[in-house]
Amino acid sequence: MKDANMTTTRRYSTRFSRRAFLGAMVAGAGLIGLPFSLRAAPGATGPAIAFDGDALILAEGSLSRSDGTDGWMELSGPTAGGILSLATHPRRLGRIAAGLTSGGIALSEDGGHGWESRSQGLPDAPVAAVTVATAEPDTVYAAICGDGLWKSEDAGRSWVFAMDRPWLADAERDLTALASVDLATGMGGIWIYAGTELGLIRVPDCFCRWQDVQPGDAMDALVSGKPAPMEAPLPEGETINALVSAASSPTRLYAALPSGIWESQDAGVVWSQKSSTRALAVAVHPANADHVAAITGDGLVESRDGGANWTALARG
Amino acid sequence: MKRNLVILSAIAVSALAAVAALTQVQGGDVRTEDVTFLGQPVTSEQIALGQEVYAENCASCHGASLEGQPNWKRRLENGRMPAPPHDESGHTWHHSDQDLFAITKLGVGGVVPGYESDMLAFGEILTDEEIAAVLAFIKSTWPERQRDVQARITASDGGGS
Repeated sequence: MKDANMTTTRRYSTRFSRRAFLGAMVAGAGLIGLPFSLRAAPGATGPAIAFDGDALILAEGSLSRSDGTDGWMELSGPTAGGILSLATHPRRLGRIAAGLTSGGIALSEDGGHGWESRSQGLPDAPVAAVTVATAEPDTVYAAICGDGLWKSEDAGRSWVFAMDRPWLADAERDLTALASVDLATGMGGIWIYAGTELGLIRVPDCFCRWQDVQPGDAMDALVSGKPAPMEAPLPEGETINALVSAASSPTRLYAALPSGIWESQDAGVVWSQKSSTRALAVAVHPANADHVAAITGDGLVESRDGGANWTALARG
Repeated sequence: MKRNLVILSAIAVSALAAVAALTQVQGGDVRTEDVTFLGQPVTSEQIALGQEVYAENCASCHGASLEGQPNWKRRLENGRMPAPPHDESGHTWHHSDQDLFAITKLGVGGVVPGYESDMLAFGEILTDEEIAAVLAFIKSTWPERQRDVQARITASDGGGS
């Protein structure tokens, strides 16, 4: 097994990165002296997408919600800043957690209509990714740029530092995506998968160490001496812009990469490419692991068959 | 006068609590019947030996009170992680007895190839009996909840590292 914490040496990706794009956008806004523009259009960042039950929440240029029948409804979004990431939980319909460009988390309990700051104790830095623990709807994880992984067990009212950033290719790497994956670690908890600018990584929710995704676990492999099963990892050195695990089938993962949408049916050991258009954000329906929505270079798209076929979703 | 009495009482209660806590950590009040290692009951002699071995070999990094190095969740400049606590605030109790024994004997790198850590492999320093004793001592300091969770992890030995 490769040591994800220390020894992995991967090629740095020079492809388009959503974070790099966002960083450049924010920096550009500052340079041209329009700080008020972010206040005037809160939630105007993105791209981020999440299912809230059957509804889709979309942050891309503006914040909007579609319940499927009446088109898209514009939402006001958090006043504290633009949205970098979104997370929901199937057992808390209407609750949406948003990681903000300005730092901190905003939480909505009414499907995105009203927002409340839930940032007490968090560092003042952009929240690149957020996820809600699958087994504990009040447990929220936030990936803070330049800092690490933070955890709240009371829906964001208080936060504690959970884990430093992974050490990859001789440096700490920011987390670019987070997904709580409801699969046992063998250590009394479940996994948190994460994306970085260099690829996929995961940590048990006891936070003992970052490690590569692999079949089985390290102890099994050492003890049994069984040959390793087939692996087909994500493209090496590519930034993971977004990552989700299907609540109805936790081994089903979808990842949004510059090279497209990728899908795994075995919790990240074997991946297959489901689209080749640059992908910025992805969401999976909580009750149907084949129903996927994504923000790509072709716009907002949807698949009802696990990514085999994609159709454009009208925004009008 | 009454205020002074209240303050004195509070100090006395705090002092008693501190003494009790210290006694617990030092093994003087350990209920050995609650502690097993690899499915076998642990004796008070094993815990006493483990406490001695811990003080000599482990406490310099993991802390005299098992509290770990300061700021242990933050990576060191060299990329390595500081020594974590072995009390209930850490993650030691998330590992099975088998894993804990292997990590102590072989070092983290012996279990996770390539992992760079300041933790020594104690297989050439301590006997298997001493390693088992020090782990028994650590386990004897955990609250009931942590012991129960760790016992289930050991029983199922879902592995983990």
